[in-house]
Amino acid sequence: MGMGRVTRSQRTNLLGVIALVVALGGLAFGLPALNHMLPSDRAVPTDRPYRIGGGVTVVPPPGARIDVTETRPTATSGTVLFRLGPVRYLVSVQPFDGTLQSAVLRLRQRITGTSGYQVTGTELTVATAGGLAGIQGGYSGPGRGGRYAVFVADGRTIEVTVSGADLDLGRTLPAIDASTRTLRYAPERAG
Amino acid sequence: MTAEPRLRSARSAPVQPGPHPELGLVRRPAFWLVLALLVAGAARMGVITAQYATAYPWALIAATGLFALLAVPFWFVVSELDFLEREPPALLVLAFAWGGLVATTVSIPGSAALDDIIAKLGSPHLAADWGAALAGPTVEEVAKTLGVVAIVLIAREQINSVLDGVVYGAMVGLGFQIVEDIVYAMGAVALAGRGDHIEPVVTTFLLRGFLSGVWSHTLFGALAGAGVGYLVVRGDRTLRTRLGVAMLAVLGAWASHVLWNSPLLRDGLGNGALALLAVLVFKGLPPLLLTWLLVRTAHDREAEYYTAQLATLDDPELVTAAEIQALKFGSRRASARWHARVRAGFRAWAAVRRLQRAQARLAVEISRGSPDLARWCHEVRRQRRTLTRLGHPEAIAPDGKGPWRRTASAVFSTALAVAVLWAAISALGGA
Repeated sequence: MGMGRVTRSQRTNLLGVIALVVALGGLAFGLPALNHMLPSDRAVPTDRPYRIGGGVTVVPPPGARIDVTETRPTATSGTVLFRLGPVRYLVSVQPFDGTLQSAVLRLRQRITGTSGYQVTGTELTVATAGGLAGIQGGYSGPGRGGRYAVFVADGRTIEVTVSGADLDLGRTLPAIDASTRTLRYAPERAG
Repeated sequence: MTAEPRLRSARSAPVQPGPHPELGLVRRPAFWLVLALLVAGAARMGVITAQYATAYPWALIAATGLFALLAVPFWFVVSELDFLEREPPALLVLAFAWGGLVATTVSIPGSAALDDIIAKLGSPHLAADWGAALAGPTVEEVAKTLGVVAIVLIAREQINSVLDGVVYGAMVGLGFQIVEDIVYAMGAVALAGRGDHIEPVVTTFLLRGFLSGVWSHTLFGALAGAGVGYLVVRGDRTLRTRLGVAMLAVLGAWASHVLWNSPLLRDGLGNGALALLAVLVFKGLPPLLLTWLLVRTAHDREAEYYTAQLATLDDPELVTAAEIQALKFGSRRASARWHARVRAGFRAWAAVRRLQRAQARLAVEISRGSPDLARWCHEVRRQRRTLTRLGHPEAIAPDGKGPWRRTASAVFSTALAVAVLWAAISALGGA
């Protein structure tokens, strides 16, 4: 037997190895590739309230589409991501037992915890048509600007974050602000 | 003339221990590929760890410490499952590393993508309710099972019973479970938004380590590993049957994982601690019992074979007839150790344990057809002399003596565990 001759056992082993790599590659790269091929946005009616989850609803801004990859409604919490062109409008509802100030602090720390992001300007109090009181502020990151707002209602925090390039934000913020004012907590509709 | 009763292992596939793992492994392509995958997985998980270490160093230290401690009893129990023919530590480490580095690295993007696909092809509601129950198990169980397949490709001769598959599968699952728990704990710290605090780590530890730890990836991995073990070992069955059983086992692991993650009974039994305990038991007990049954059956089959090897020695200094009976069952081995401790102290307990290990090793070497058994016989005799000096020459527990205390101790430990579990549930707001 000469040196370097590949045995049958090694060939079988190699085939097994190739199958193993293919299976792992399918999981690590195949599934994300398939996911990438499928469209993630979906039309949403903008003339009636959308149920985010946790008993919270919002009327989407005109022209908005839902990104289903970041939209997860449940009975006790929920997240919805609206896209208005390149602008992201994210509303997240989570169980929370603190005050409005602590909820704002929590969101601000999450924003500034991301490298390159900082909170800008002063915070303002805001209110929704449904009577929710909240605090609103702005932030900036690499090549993007943003707006955040936080509301607390009956053991839940409602966090709103809007992000996009300054030009796009300037064009869409009035509609998004109008949408944010339609946030409503309606516990009887939870689930 | 009556036919001699035949061992179950002789009636079906023989239990044959493989040779000692040697450097020949490095000539197999699988060895190098798995090594490369481990390095890639370590690099990927290293990047994630570095991000956490920068943002939340103390929380990361706490999470790593707590979950590493949790891994110790799990490792001990899993490695003890195959008491008679212990697996090479290097392969156990490799299985653990596959679970913690490769399976996790693959599962993070794979599960997220499948969850998104469920939302795209179904709806966000479907993904919110069933995404975690379907995406995670589908990707993770496959990624973990591939770890047992990798062990087979590297060291096929070390898989010689279904129990070996269970052990390697459980080790892959344990590695996955520990790393995933650490990642979840750090995710909880980030989500809390209070900076480098360890409270979310402790909560995650109680929830995922304590409440969910027993019926988690270690259990699912053991189930799937049993299937791979069956596929590899049971050469007496047709390939179709073996493949069918292996797929059934992986499907069982997947179904157990789906049941555990599913929203079923999420609100059905109310909000009290009792309701939470009932849900935990309803969702976790079926796979636990199934795995226990599998382990018991595979262990008995293997024990029958190895003790038959010892019986051929016909030398009571090496092993007595009563010790052979004790070696067959984990409970009897434990009772023999317990009895030694009660009768002659802790040194006798340790000596019985070493004697049982030496006898098991001797049985394995006989099965391997090792030409020189002197080394293994010497070790058994050495432990026997120690026991004789301690006035406890035979490693058995006489019937009716000793076991009740062990049973009482087990009942007390179980009650204590349930009490701690209850306290943990109540502390987490279940009550």
